[in-house]
Amino acid sequence: MRREVVLTGIGGQGIQLSAQLMARSALASGLFVQVFGSYGGMMRGGNTEATVVVSDEPVVAPPTVERAWSGIVMHHDYSEATLARLRPDSFVVVDSTVFEGELPQDLRRVSRVPATALAIEVGRKQVACTVLLGAFAAITELVPLESLVGALPAALPAYRGKLTELNREALEVGFRAGSDIARRDAVDGASRVAVP
Amino acid sequence: MSVAQVASSGSSASESAAEPEFLEGSEAIARAMISAGCRFFAGYPMTPFTEVLEAMAKHLPAQGGSCVNAESELEAVGMAWGAAATGTPAATGSTGQGLSLMQESLAEITYARLPLVVLNMARAQGDYFQATRGGGHGDYRHIVLAPKDVTEAVYLVQEAFHLAAIWRNPVLVMGDYYIAHTWQSVSTARIDFGPEPDRSWALDGATGGTGKAKLISPIADTKRGDDVGYDLAEFYGRRGAELDVMGREVQPRAETGFLEGADLVVVAYGTVAQYVREAVANLRADGAKVGYIRPITLYPFPTEVLRNAASSAKAFAVYENNRGQMIEDVMLSVMERADVRFIGGLSVDSSGFGIAPDLDVTSVRARIQTTLEEIS
Repeated sequence: MRREVVLTGIGGQGIQLSAQLMARSALASGLFVQVFGSYGGMMRGGNTEATVVVSDEPVVAPPTVERAWSGIVMHHDYSEATLARLRPDSFVVVDSTVFEGELPQDLRRVSRVPATALAIEVGRKQVACTVLLGAFAAITELVPLESLVGALPAALPAYRGKLTELNREALEVGFRAGSDIARRDAVDGASRVAVP
Repeated sequence: MSVAQVASSGSSASESAAEPEFLEGSEAIARAMISAGCRFFAGYPMTPFTEVLEAMAKHLPAQGGSCVNAESELEAVGMAWGAAATGTPAATGSTGQGLSLMQESLAEITYARLPLVVLNMARAQGDYFQATRGGGHGDYRHIVLAPKDVTEAVYLVQEAFHLAAIWRNPVLVMGDYYIAHTWQSVSTARIDFGPEPDRSWALDGATGGTGKAKLISPIADTKRGDDVGYDLAEFYGRRGAELDVMGREVQPRAETGFLEGADLVVVAYGTVAQYVREAVANLRADGAKVGYIRPITLYPFPTEVLRNAASSAKAFAVYENNRGQMIEDVMLSVMERADVRFIGGLSVDSSGFGIAPDLDVTSVRARIQTTLEEIS
């Protein structure tokens, strides 16, 4: 088993944190993980993306992959190169609150989750990517919710420790939204839009 | 590894455990340097070297060492030079841009016969000439090691301290943005490379008149007996001969794959070679007669490995993320035995940090495929 996940967004949305949560969650499940994080010089608004490779064998892969099993899309800016790595059967979760771009036409498994809107309801829009990660976990079943929550203390920088609880809530809200999508999809095989 | 273990191990780098830890490459390199005995580090921030400097600043003081964020690369290399002269295992580094500033000192340190580890957390691969030919004055050489990933970087960084001690010479380790920013589970525990010579040459504070004063300088290690000064002919001759021995005796190293029956051999180093290896493996699976060689030591260059491959291969294709530099060493190795072509090219994104949009297995495979068609 080998799963590649690409994440794309802009600085400040939590792309690198989400990659870390996913990685540490997979490690806790006894899997092997490689993460490559790439970002520009801007703390806010610049390009940021990550490639996570999870495998049940030691990962032998270049830092970036040519095709990804799934994608987490937080913003349209700078997303082109990441979207090009997705294949028709890749799982794709999109923050429908802010994403205004065009997704490749041939994608068959797109889930639109209003992650930023849900994050604002939780109390802070900065946790939007954690919401989307929760939804991703429910839809793909790559990592369990419990281990994502368990990974928060190690993945959050020490000075962000007080945000552990908020991020836990964000993961849970996202997970519920993702579960709804997965359930409805199982029933009618069509709808992949979460209701805020 | 449990989450709790990750959390507890993530906060301290004290004595690096043999158990693998999930670390970013820059952090792993820093911990490996400390495990190898590094006790002085100086540098000036520049992505992706900044990340290593930050990790050294975080961990080195707790081990009794000193890490200095110098006011520029010039001061950083000067400080490292001073620390090395006292026998303290020392290192510095930068990106290639910062190393440009350091070249005068790097040449002089080599002539002064001091062990020093230098990191080039390079932006792309444009610094091959700087690394292997040197940008400073005089007739000197550095050992140059080029890891392909974090795991190998952790090993080679530690070996660099050993080689520096053995040869009393700077050893350069080539990293990049990819290695600095890739997280893997690695052990950064100390690796034993065997005994090292004593450091009785090191300055210990004894001054003139004590009878124990020593001289470390890029133009001499002793004064002439007739009190007229230094004998540069004698010193340069002796130092040059030592460098010749180093160049002959350090074992050149390369990783090879699929060379059996290969018509085409692709040559690449560092991170780029990971993409080449995957592309070659894919092509082999499709029946193409292609193999690869990844030089691990850029100096001494693994000439024999390439020469042996040239006895059966029709052509060599060199993939570098630059306009063609290592290709000269490939040509010097292969001589007239086979055709040598360049299939790389500089690819950097707008940040300039060394992220290469063209570096993709599909793209690399296409270039190799084209070369295979040309030579068939």
